[in-house]
Amino acid sequence: MKETLRLSFRKGDLWAIVLVILLALLTVGLWGRKVVSDTAGTVQIYQNNQCIMEYSLFQDALIPVEGEYHNIIQISGGKVAIVESNCPGEDCVHSGWIKSPGRSLVCLPNKVEVRLVGKEDEVDFIVR
Amino acid sequence: MKRRVSFLLAVILFLSGCGQTQQETEKKQYTATFLTLFDTVTTIVGKAENEESFQQEAQAIHDQLQEYHQLFDIYQEYEGIANLKTINDKAGIEPVKVDSRIISLLQDCRKIYEVTEGKVNVAMGSVLALWHEARDYGRNNPKEAKLPDKEELDEAAQHVDFEKIIIDEKNSTVYIEDSRIRLDVGAIAKGWSVQQVAEKTREGLLLSVGGNVCATGPKDEKGNPWVVGVENPEGEGDYLHTLYLTKGSIITSGDYQRTYQVEGKMYHHIIDSQTLFPADYWRSVTVLCDDSGIGDALSTALFVMSKEKGQQLLEEYDAEAMWVDGEGKIYYSPGFKKQIRT
Repeated sequence: MKETLRLSFRKGDLWAIVLVILLALLTVGLWGRKVVSDTAGTVQIYQNNQCIMEYSLFQDALIPVEGEYHNIIQISGGKVAIVESNCPGEDCVHSGWIKSPGRSLVCLPNKVEVRLVGKEDEVDFIVR
Repeated sequence: MKRRVSFLLAVILFLSGCGQTQQETEKKQYTATFLTLFDTVTTIVGKAENEESFQQEAQAIHDQLQEYHQLFDIYQEYEGIANLKTINDKAGIEPVKVDSRIISLLQDCRKIYEVTEGKVNVAMGSVLALWHEARDYGRNNPKEAKLPDKEELDEAAQHVDFEKIIIDEKNSTVYIEDSRIRLDVGAIAKGWSVQQVAEKTREGLLLSVGGNVCATGPKDEKGNPWVVGVENPEGEGDYLHTLYLTKGSIITSGDYQRTYQVEGKMYHHIIDSQTLFPADYWRSVTVLCDDSGIGDALSTALFVMSKEKGQQLLEEYDAEAMWVDGEGKIYYSPGFKKQIRT
């Protein structure tokens, strides 16, 4: 009796622990992948209300977008901006850099919206 | 050993399960953006079962707004539609039979014209057209950007009498008696259209057309209010305030909207009827008002007058406002602070 009650480390326990860790990693991995487009850190580029491209905010990139006009979107150091445009007035370029989820940049003449996915601080909408 | 394994399995099942149940019961919040209406950004926010049903709902709202956009357009003609451009083109010639929505917009414009003592005057189209042309040219040719000719402005300002707009409700016609007068409803049409559409839409949506934000009711079934951030025009992405909004509207007019540069100086689009130049009382004015159409007009009116006069006007409509002056100093109407979250 005394022998069987003792909590000793057995081979089976090791397998159980490995199994738990593997399952945990798998769950996190799958869940993480599923919500990557729902959570902060994703840059979505819309044209004519269609999402045409999706990027990570944490991977630097230069993205040209063609339309009636020509935009160049830059992702750099966790921020995003429309850095070049041949649209009249270039309001989109003057909007500068954004980094917080929920923010967006618009080039009205080129019908382009750059959206940072997610909500910041539970703000539903931003007016300027 | 058996017991231990089953305990571990229970933990695993519990851990993997809780994320899902939450996702199933909570409706997700979606945002749709349209860039083709009223020459500005239209945004629709709301909770829905799935993205597809939300997109359908947003599209239906877009389609309604598009009808208003076409009716109130002064630049383009649309087949089979008599719009404001048609009325303008027939100024001094003949009355134009129009949709009842144009009649009721113009009737509301008359009320606003009277209450604001002409500060919000949709018959100022001839003056605004000169600024519009100069801005368009300047934005396309930055090195040759010019201000409108002062003499031409003064000339145009002779033709802004709203009394010459003959609105015949019975026959549903509009006639401009003075051939030089033009209608331009930019100061009110966006908010007015949002209000019309919002009244016919379900609760729980946030509609915005170019900064005219309107909530049709609380954002969820628990009755929680929407949170709207008013961005600091000077800052880089920080807020002046975040405001609660359950039902009703928030409208901001600012000197940083629709601008162009002439010799390094910025000129915006809200023209003071007295000086015929962009108004320089305030950097921005944010209005809280039950009715989005009235709110739109109020934000323009307050932008072209002193705080004292603006406060009197707010009281007529039971509205509230926040003014930001050139130095970044903020002023509030007495009831505005009740709506402030942070």
